[in-house]
Amino acid sequence: MRLLLLLRLLARDWRAGELRLLVTAVVVAVATVTAISLFVDRLQAALLSESSTFLAADRVISSSRIIPDEFRVAAEQRGLETAETLTFPSMVFSAQRNQLVSVKAVSQRYPLRGSLRISDQPFVQGARTDTVPARGDVWLDSRLFPALGLAIGDIVTVGVADLRIAQVLTDEPDRGGSFFDLGPRLLMHIDDVPATEVVQPGSRLLYRLLLRGDDGDLADLRSTLDEELAKGFRWQSIRESSPSIGDALDRAESFLLLGGLLAVLLAGVAVALAADRYARRHYDHVAIFKTLGATPADVQWGYLTVLGIIGIVAVSVGLLVGAGLHLSIVGILRSYLPLELPAPGLKPLVVGSVTGFVCLVAFALPPIMNLRRISPMRVIRRDLEHAGVSRALTYAFAGCGSLLLLVWYTDSWWLTAWTLVGVLGIVVCFGVLATLLLRGGRVVGMQAGNYWRLALAGLQRRHRESVAQILIFGLAIMLLLILLLVRVALVDEWRQQIPDRAPNHFLMNIVPEQLGPLEELLTSRVDYKGELFPMIRGHVVAVNGQSAAQWESEHRHPDAPGPRLSSERNLSWTTQLSENNRLIEGIWWGEEEVEPQISVEQDYASSSHLSLGDVVDFNIGGISVSATVSSLRRVEWDSMEPNFFILFSPGALVDIPATYMTSFYLPADEKRFLNDLLSQFPTVTVIEVDELIRQIQSIISRVTQAVELILALVVASGALVLIASIQASRDQRLAEHALLRALGATRRLITGSLAAEFALLGIFAGIVATIGAEVTAYALQVEVFELPYQLHPWLWALGPTLGLVFILLIGMLGTRKLVNSPPVAVLRELD
Amino acid sequence: MTAEILSASGVTKIVPTSAGELTILDGISLEINAAESVAIIGASGSGKTTLLGILAGLDTPSSGSVLLDGNELTALDEEQRAVLRGELVGFVFQSFQLLGSLTALENVMLPGELRGDSDPRSEASELLRRVGLGDRATHYPRQLSGGEQQRVAIARAFASRPKILFADEPTGNLDKVTGARVIELLFDLNREFAATLILVTHDAPLAERCQRLLELDGGRLVTETRA
Repeated sequence: MRLLLLLRLLARDWRAGELRLLVTAVVVAVATVTAISLFVDRLQAALLSESSTFLAADRVISSSRIIPDEFRVAAEQRGLETAETLTFPSMVFSAQRNQLVSVKAVSQRYPLRGSLRISDQPFVQGARTDTVPARGDVWLDSRLFPALGLAIGDIVTVGVADLRIAQVLTDEPDRGGSFFDLGPRLLMHIDDVPATEVVQPGSRLLYRLLLRGDDGDLADLRSTLDEELAKGFRWQSIRESSPSIGDALDRAESFLLLGGLLAVLLAGVAVALAADRYARRHYDHVAIFKTLGATPADVQWGYLTVLGIIGIVAVSVGLLVGAGLHLSIVGILRSYLPLELPAPGLKPLVVGSVTGFVCLVAFALPPIMNLRRISPMRVIRRDLEHAGVSRALTYAFAGCGSLLLLVWYTDSWWLTAWTLVGVLGIVVCFGVLATLLLRGGRVVGMQAGNYWRLALAGLQRRHRESVAQILIFGLAIMLLLILLLVRVALVDEWRQQIPDRAPNHFLMNIVPEQLGPLEELLTSRVDYKGELFPMIRGHVVAVNGQSAAQWESEHRHPDAPGPRLSSERNLSWTTQLSENNRLIEGIWWGEEEVEPQISVEQDYASSSHLSLGDVVDFNIGGISVSATVSSLRRVEWDSMEPNFFILFSPGALVDIPATYMTSFYLPADEKRFLNDLLSQFPTVTVIEVDELIRQIQSIISRVTQAVELILALVVASGALVLIASIQASRDQRLAEHALLRALGATRRLITGSLAAEFALLGIFAGIVATIGAEVTAYALQVEVFELPYQLHPWLWALGPTLGLVFILLIGMLGTRKLVNSPPVAVLRELD
Repeated sequence: MTAEILSASGVTKIVPTSAGELTILDGISLEINAAESVAIIGASGSGKTTLLGILAGLDTPSSGSVLLDGNELTALDEEQRAVLRGELVGFVFQSFQLLGSLTALENVMLPGELRGDSDPRSEASELLRRVGLGDRATHYPRQLSGGEQQRVAIARAFASRPKILFADEPTGNLDKVTGARVIELLFDLNREFAATLILVTHDAPLAERCQRLLELDGGRLVTETRA
């Protein structure tokens, strides 16, 4: 068929409104995905870059050994920025006192992400700076000033070097990176380290090479250094180094993707409905073309060209709308998003375009391809029923398209499989349920005297179409409900993760004699729960008689994430398991005196290949202790409470001198309390995590806003499906009502029965949607997001109400014009 | 000597129904010569329209054969039959079958466009003028009366430059006067184009204008009358 003719027909169809729904559905699919991708792409980049400040870099290579200079050279050859730090504990001396501090020596370009804050007096917020201590200078944590009785300009001694106190260090970006390496901080220039002479063989040192740059370059560096890294170097990204932020990002990503793909599936259904309607309205055209000599191949290629043109136009418009939508989202959220969004890449546009074409091929192609099979006999036998496109073919196309998109978006077969199984299961169950609801009271004839009976009779007469509609409406409403449920659960979970008055300060190195007066002070001045934990440093030397190094080399993959078995760590003992610990295997020892036993955190146990009954030997300050693994625990690290990988049974460590640690909540405006605390207990180490908590909370609240926005976009797609499916059944419904009107039914009866029909459809769809949503949300929350689940009574009111209001509103708007037209005009239009 | 342009031999059409198989046409055989005009008459349900569809290559018989201008239709697939229709056949339908989204002129241009003619517009304009609708070229079907729509359909049928023209109840949707005018036009053009005319009708006076009458009853050819 000639292109000109096709274009002319296309233009006419567009003007007549035949194509509007199809094009709109594709535009919405493309726009939604493009907007989500653009926004998510930029937001993720921004969040990651902000989160990178927790590392002070994009990636970090760390080790207790000197990091070879080749690593730095290799990084710089790839255009990556580098900086070095060396962290070690050391005693520092002032004229009157001494204090154990955590020294961090940094190179000139530290930090690569985030910034240091300094001030000229302790316990204030301080100002950002992009310098580091000059050679010969140190910057000290606020709490060291009262602890050591020092002021700016005084001299402290680190090892054998005297260094001048130049500034108060009030904040450093990677402070939260490693919890327990922190005593109060002393920041110095890395070139001054040799002069201190404190770095000796056996010292507890942490060397870090900070890296910043393009993701591709970083990945390239990692793969180049892979073999070298395995020799005791750790490659860290934000996800590994700060699990709570990593988790929040992972969940947000899953959610946003899920939201995006639900929007696409909804739009896909709208495309399928609109394409089917378009194809049906072209049956006569095709029959005429064929009588005039158009071959099936002509018809097929002609309509494929039409579809291609529709695709190109709709995708282009969709991309523009998506880009605009995303800009307005950014505009709306600008005041809530204090972080600067980086420029988007091309990927979101590719994602949008591919989505549009896949949607068209998967959802619109089967009915369009089927047009070639229309019999030309239709021109003389209008009553000739066309079998329509094979259902199996339609479902296969839609299924494959959805699968392709789902896998592509989520990059996860697991999430894809769950979503598809959920949707398929629900289609079957909905079909059965809708049939049962409709069969509820079969009536004969049109029952043209009463709205409700007329409506119900209509629904029952068009039984197959009604079931299909309840299914489609139900599916759309269900997807909205699921999203709502999962969102509520996610946001709640995030909020609960760090409760409002979670402890934000830790005290360590408390000696037994200080316990009484310290607890007294805390109880009287701050929010203190009274939980004290003994703390002893030690490391595993053997498991079941095999040396720890050998055990690790046999049982642990060199790249395996997580804590290493043999590293020195904090050990504790307790009689009671705290709230944020849950026993998952074995037996808790309780109050009784038992043989030395240990309870091991599950991730540590699995990465170190420890199981119940294993005998683990420890070296604790030169003393050997042997204990049997008697239980495994799951620990909520996000709780911000003191937690330990290894807990001993009481009595096992009784002869070993321990210090204690505890935690408390201190509001920002009461920071000066730390001054009093440290003056009274100068040897106690304070770790402030309030800033870290604030940062995590701010990320979570931003992610929540993004999630809410996606919900709005999905609601828009859902509305489109509803409009499409009402449109799809509009002709048949209107023909019946026009006939009734021609036979004398009042407009009131017709409007009433249409309203009743949409209301019934809405309520039925709402009921099935609610059931489906509960089941799917259960699966998603428990299996995918790993959140706890409970039933939602409010959903049972919301689902049917939503169905009723939504479908009634859209249905009545969609049919308004034709209810008000004279019946003859309606019948002629439908002819 | 008049050449045979269309012949059918033992054409039978059986369709499955819920009550079993239904025989619509039962062993129809006939021959039609070039430039001849033939009316197929019979009661409703006698199989007239089905026969027309099979003779025109729109449908296929369950058994039997149809030879159209030397081409055995039953041996062709839909693709080949469509090409043949485009080359040989024109149609006029009871319900006009104009494309509502195209103007009168564009409807008449369709066969030429489908054939890939270089200038389908001028021929279509001429035909439209010939049927007396030169001034209605830009009107859409819904803006035309029934008689006018049928005249557009006739113009379109001859735009196919058909050797054989099939008309299915061409006056079925028209009043008597309009119907008579449309028939006059149809026969005039048919003579002018020297086409064979096969029409299905209930309308006895119309049927009698044809050279030959074939009467169907219950799917069988019962009488053949020469005018």
